[in-house]
This record gives sequence, C-alpha cells and structure tokens, in this order.
Amino acid sequence: MTRVGRAAISMERLARAVRDPQAGAVVVFLGTTRVHNAGRRVLRLEYEAFAGMAEREMRALADQARRRWRICRVAMAHRTGVVPVGQVSVGVAVSSGHRAEAFAACRWLIDRLKTTVPIWKREHFRGGRIWIGSTPAGPRRVAARRRAARKRR
Amino acid sequence: MVRLRFFAALREHLGPTRTETLPPGTTVGALWRALVAERPELARFRVRFAVNEEYVTASHRLAEDDEVAVFPPVSGGR
Repeated sequence: MTRVGRAAISMERLARAVRDPQAGAVVVFLGTTRVHNAGRRVLRLEYEAFAGMAEREMRALADQARRRWRICRVAMAHRTGVVPVGQVSVGVAVSSGHRAEAFAACRWLIDRLKTTVPIWKREHFRGGRIWIGSTPAGPRRVAARRRAARKRR
Repeated sequence: MVRLRFFAALREHLGPTRTETLPPGTTVGALWRALVAERPELARFRVRFAVNEEYVTASHRLAEDDEVAVFPPVSGGR
C-alpha cells in the first residue's frame, strides 16, 4: 500500500496492510508534527505533494527495500494539506520473518522517503510561515533576518 | 512545446504551470537558467528536476511534449 493524500493516517491500517503469514515481525514508524522547530513555536504544518510522482517514488523505494532485505510487505503513507501539531504526517510499516530486517528496512525507508519523495513541508509559526529546506537560507537565517529587521525599526 | 510544473516555494514565484516552446535539444539546465535570467530572485533556489515524473540531471535533453517538474529539495528532517 502506498498512499499520498489528505486523509488521516491510521497506524492500525498500516499494520494491517503488511500482515503476512510468513511474518514474525511488524515494525511501524510514525512521523508526527512537532510543536517546536529551530526555536520557533509551530502552529501547524502544511504538506504539498507532486502526488503521482510521490506514490511512484514510494513504490520504487519499497521495491529497493525488498531487494536489500528479506522482508514480506511494505506500506507507506504521507499526508498532504494542513496537519495540526501532534498528528501523524507520515507512516511506514514493514513486515519480515524476523525483526532485524523489518527494523533495518523501516529505518532505511523513512530516511530515503525524506530525501527522494517529492513532498514539501511548510511550517506556520507565530509571525510567519516558511517552506522547509527550499533555499540555502534556511529557517535560522530567516529568523536572523527578521531579528535584524526588527532592530533596524 | 514542453509543460512546466512548479512546486512549493517555486510555485509561489512562478505559478503552478506554464508552457514553453524550446529549440530542439534544449537541456533541463538551460531551461532553468533561462527562467533565472528572467527572474533573478530565483537564483537562490537549489532545485531538482523531473521529466515525466522521473528524476533527471540538468544535462537531460528535452523532447516535444515532455512534462518538466522543477522543485526545491524535499522536506528532510532527521
């Protein structure tokens, strides 16, 4: 199962999607929206996806994971749109005969997903909003520029 | 003619889509440099390219009816 969309992510559903009679282990990773980032209080996060390509990239990662480890099944889901603080924005589930492979593959999948699947995050905080990772001027630089602008006033 | 799609911060600068007529053999990188020449504020963006939903490098040559997606690096985290 690979899913990119606005619906809430259910851990139960991810786990059920990888259930397999050959499996002795199911590992589920959930990424949740954090209230603080780079010293800012986050009000909410917003995700934008290139949906068709994102699902294709996720399936390609699942295929690569199956070649690297002896695993049974893989499920991945990513939310789009506004995700309030404390909710699940991304989930990865892997089943395998023994737990080591499921842990390793799950870790690898979430790390790869974060760098290759075309989904972007916009952080809304008090006083502004910013696309994360979009320019070399990251959040810290933007915050510093804002402080400098305040001083000038 | 190729169709361009922009995402996230780039979409806010350039709009979601546009079409361009290009000389045959134009590379993705040359297309991006032309856009930056037109809009210098885009120079600060690090970008990645996908053609027909597959990642490509800047030297990839475009063909008629290709769909080119230009986007900033994805969201990251650790």
